[in-house]
Amino acid sequence: MSLRLSRRAFTAGSAAAAGLTAMGPLRRAHAAMRTDRLNVLCWEGYNTDDVLGPFRDLHPDATVRAESGTSDPDMINKLRAGEVNVWDLINVNQPWAKGQLYPEGLIKPLDKERFLPYFDHMAPEFQGPYPLAFADDGELIGMPQRYGPFSFVVNTDKISRATAEDQGWKLFLDPAMKDRYGILTYDNWNIMHMCLTGDLNPFKPLDDAGMAKFKEVAETIFSGAKLRSDDLVAMNTALINGEIDAYFTGGTYTASPARLDGLTNIRAVTPNSGPIDGKGGVVWIELTSLVNNPDPSALAPDFLEFVQKPEICKAVGFAEGTYNPVAQMGDPDVFKLWDADELDAIQWDTLAEEMDRSVEYDVVASYDALSKIYNVAKRS
Amino acid sequence: MERLDRRLGALCATPMLLLLGLTFLAPLVVVAAFSIMPEKVFDLWHQPDFSAYVEVIRQGYWTSVAWALGMALVATVILFLICWPLAYAMAKVYRRFTLVLTIGVVLSLFVSENIRLFGWVLTLMKGGLIEGHLRAWFGTGFDGLLYNVPVIIFGLVYVYLPFMLFPLAQGIAMIPDDARQAAYDLGASRRRVLWEIDLPLAAPGIVVGGLLTFVLAAGAIAESKLLGGQAVIVIADDVETAFTYGQNWPLGSALAMVLIAIIGSIAIVGVSRIDLDAIMGRRR
Repeated sequence: MSLRLSRRAFTAGSAAAAGLTAMGPLRRAHAAMRTDRLNVLCWEGYNTDDVLGPFRDLHPDATVRAESGTSDPDMINKLRAGEVNVWDLINVNQPWAKGQLYPEGLIKPLDKERFLPYFDHMAPEFQGPYPLAFADDGELIGMPQRYGPFSFVVNTDKISRATAEDQGWKLFLDPAMKDRYGILTYDNWNIMHMCLTGDLNPFKPLDDAGMAKFKEVAETIFSGAKLRSDDLVAMNTALINGEIDAYFTGGTYTASPARLDGLTNIRAVTPNSGPIDGKGGVVWIELTSLVNNPDPSALAPDFLEFVQKPEICKAVGFAEGTYNPVAQMGDPDVFKLWDADELDAIQWDTLAEEMDRSVEYDVVASYDALSKIYNVAKRS
Repeated sequence: MERLDRRLGALCATPMLLLLGLTFLAPLVVVAAFSIMPEKVFDLWHQPDFSAYVEVIRQGYWTSVAWALGMALVATVILFLICWPLAYAMAKVYRRFTLVLTIGVVLSLFVSENIRLFGWVLTLMKGGLIEGHLRAWFGTGFDGLLYNVPVIIFGLVYVYLPFMLFPLAQGIAMIPDDARQAAYDLGASRRRVLWEIDLPLAAPGIVVGGLLTFVLAAGAIAESKLLGGQAVIVIADDVETAFTYGQNWPLGSALAMVLIAIIGSIAIVGVSRIDLDAIMGRRR
């Protein structure tokens, strides 16, 4: 049989071959997952050499990159702006994964068989396992690690811990506190905390009376604040040099750097009581989730497993910048890596009782309406 | 021949114009398109409405615009008053020292704005360089100098000084010494020379310096955050909040468009009144 190939047939064949080559990236989605790359979008800590270095050693052929964000919404904006193709893992606080990322298809479920056993070694609050790690459809959508109570911070030389805990949020409505406190402008937290100050539950829709109360509280708190900043270092500095005696919105996350420097009079406080089943504090818990990347990296779930190792848990919890407890400290092998000063920096002595007096950071039900009132009060 | 030259010029410029159009205008078009989308959407496939602009008016965002523009205006005027004598000396009096001064000012730009501002925080705060020393020497201190409107304006003046100084020096360099000399010979006073010779002939430099500083200061955010402790909220702050904590991209875009429209109008009026060719040294 002789092969007869006309010029037209040859051209058509070449075009088809070129087309197939061009479709290479598309075809790869159906082939095995890539192992040459891992991009992590996270809060500071996961991007340090102490965490990434050992993982890079395990995967010398892969490019492992991590970028730290400055706020949850900033990081989520990146995914919304089309960077789902870039990132393989995202690390944000617990309500965002369940409330926005998963419903919008920006993250995808984890393999339960592989990851559920890790919950057994976590602190008691996370065993069971931790409910907010699951979507409404029952899928596991993220692994918890760092956490911490987050209410407000005082200088105990000026306001005793007992007074601050007893007065709770009402401390900031006290006329004697005018110009003696700052506001750490983590807006989503401020909104939650202002609701609690007004004896409102931020996680349930508010009626008109609730909105009016929130407005009154927001206006009072903004008008009494000496300074506002979204920089925790600026806020701690003002607290240390005596310009303010407390700041509204803060916790072990913000107080720990000053405490590790020996300034243990800077203390995160959780109110003794509050409007949600008697609780007035709020706790954040970070979840790390798999980004719904169309060209996924097989290293992403491997990295999630890798950060469960004791020495890596310590590196994540005690990264530069801020220091935080990790859920894995429930495991004695992890816990023994913290020394006394480090435990004091994260207020380990009272952590369990503060967690008890706190509710989970959740999606604020009337966030849009409250955000408008909050921003008007902030500008006034 | 000249027509052919012009056509060839236009033809050669086309690729660059297209590139500029894509890279410079495309993001602005996207922002403009988002600004007419309904609240809280994250793509452009929705029926356009102007609800975000209604929100801008209803929620009183004009106060943030007014603060930003007002502080930028005050900072620009202060910068002009500070920079005029300095620029004059650079252009007409100093010789080699002009180079030293230029390098000194330019070097400061190599350090990040936030770090320079944080340096001022450490200087001005309670227990900082100034208050701490005064307390150590005299036994009494005061409450620190931060977290108010004047310190924000100070920050703007400090950060944007080079942007006023260099165009002004360039503008003053354009004043022919002969014209000043002739005016003096004809009996003009110093004030009259300033008013009728120096200021009109240096006008292009004044307009460019004024525009640069005003536009940059109006969109500035770090000074009010770091030094001012957000004593007032500026419009750039509101744009950031809408895009991040508010998760309301259309509102953030509408706020940005309002700022672009105001600043753009001022810039167009300013630029149309000066001869940029002249200040860049090309004279026909």
